[in-house]
Amino acid sequence: MMIPDISTILEVVLIAVKVVVVTMILFGLPLPLTWLERKVAGHIQVRLGPWRVGPHGLLQPFADMIKLLMKEDIVPDRADKFLFTIAPLLAMVPAFAVFVAIPFGENIVIPVINKEVSLYISDMNVGILYILAISGLGVYGIILGGWASNSKYSLIGGLRSSAQMISYEISISFAVIGVVMLSNSLSLVDIVRSQGGSLLQWNFFYLPVGPVWCAIFIIGSLAEINRIPFDLPEDEGTLGAGFHTEYSGMKFALFMLAEYVAMVSVSVLTVILFFGGWNSPVPLPIPIPPIFWFVAKVAFFIYFFMWVRFTLPRYRYDQLMTIGWKILIPVSLVTILITGFMRI
Amino acid sequence: MSDKKGIDILDLIKKVLFTDFVKGLKVTLGYNISKSITHRYPDDEKWIPYRRFRGVHTLNRDENGRELCVACELCVKACPTSCITVVPMEDDTGRGIADRVAKVWRVNLVRCLFCGYCEDACPTRAVRLGREYELACSDFRCTVRNREDLLMPQPVPESIEGGIVAKAKFERPLSGIKVTADLKVTKKRAW
Repeated sequence: MMIPDISTILEVVLIAVKVVVVTMILFGLPLPLTWLERKVAGHIQVRLGPWRVGPHGLLQPFADMIKLLMKEDIVPDRADKFLFTIAPLLAMVPAFAVFVAIPFGENIVIPVINKEVSLYISDMNVGILYILAISGLGVYGIILGGWASNSKYSLIGGLRSSAQMISYEISISFAVIGVVMLSNSLSLVDIVRSQGGSLLQWNFFYLPVGPVWCAIFIIGSLAEINRIPFDLPEDEGTLGAGFHTEYSGMKFALFMLAEYVAMVSVSVLTVILFFGGWNSPVPLPIPIPPIFWFVAKVAFFIYFFMWVRFTLPRYRYDQLMTIGWKILIPVSLVTILITGFMRI
Repeated sequence: MSDKKGIDILDLIKKVLFTDFVKGLKVTLGYNISKSITHRYPDDEKWIPYRRFRGVHTLNRDENGRELCVACELCVKACPTSCITVVPMEDDTGRGIADRVAKVWRVNLVRCLFCGYCEDACPTRAVRLGREYELACSDFRCTVRNREDLLMPQPVPESIEGGIVAKAKFERPLSGIKVTADLKVTKKRAW
């Protein structure tokens, strides 16, 4: 038997550790995010938001978690039991799998063992392609959940979700193609590196097409992750709760988890593709760790998505389709053409 | 959308620049950073109403401590829901301002609609609607207030104008919850 040498073993261990750390962070993130979302909602509506559980309601997510764990886990009588059970997982796993290809910073050196560690699990040379492919799979959880519930509301919610995904995935992909044309690479690390230097190197400021790409990407992503103003699949007004009408307890929590992780991944992608990733906006004399810029930008976009959620009303279904097919796709095609001419 | 044929250029520019969207975001951001108007009641704030507030009835005394009520029963006649019961009696020991005082003065708060007609009908200004508004309780006994309760001094004295938020303490003994306002620490309401 061939015994692998020590550096290979260390490499494998390192990757395993990174996977565990990222997964733990992603499992933990929805807790502060639910709190933040409710606080933002409260303050935008001139209320206080969660207040009574812990100081400033900080322990509210834990109370919610305990509540969800204690709730009865209902599987409807006529539901497809198997699909009903795995649908939340199908929604959740792709949301997590996206983070395999996402870089969080340049390589750092761990001081004690003096080893260089990369801040990504895998730097694929087709990273962005992988992310688009995997995040598109998340919709299976929603469709199957809606289908397996054997309820009209769930089914319509699932159908809307799939239609929405098909309509907006195209324009998102075109927006990403634009970024790839600007950065000449499909690898996210290279995309970030190409935006280094200063503010003006960011893809967002590649005038006049940068802001257009960014707008298309953000609008399309909002539709992909089913957030207001595009949360037609869980339209409370007309569909009960949409695809998760029949879900309760932990299964429902998994759907919510998937939704929040998807929101984080969209924020991260927006930052990486358009806002220079971990690059600092202006050259500074004092060295600030790049991870700070990365987290700050991502936090801003997470706040931005919540801010939008409590600003805009929900679009009607025909408006959703009009925006997707009649505006975003033609605009993105024209912008690709312009970008192509500009890059000659 | 304009009624005219063709594309309204101004409208198109507005749409391209997301003018309305940005306006909306500005409004919500303004609210987000503005101060919340929520009263943290019952935890640590309590609303002190204005003098004109119509809460639970009070029976008043004159400056010598004599009861103003002369048991004329006009409040009973004026009451649209017949929730007041008055039984008069004769008493010349100086308990009231006249020889006729109320033996029973009882108001059923479940039926009372706090219209204030009793207040208007009262010739001696004995009955007033006070500023107490915490009426929730766990049995029907506390929904009927008797003369003895109503003659008690008010927790919010008449000298305080009201319309303020006072710091409060929330107590939860087994006998029933209570929110006591600290009238020395007050603030204007936020809006």
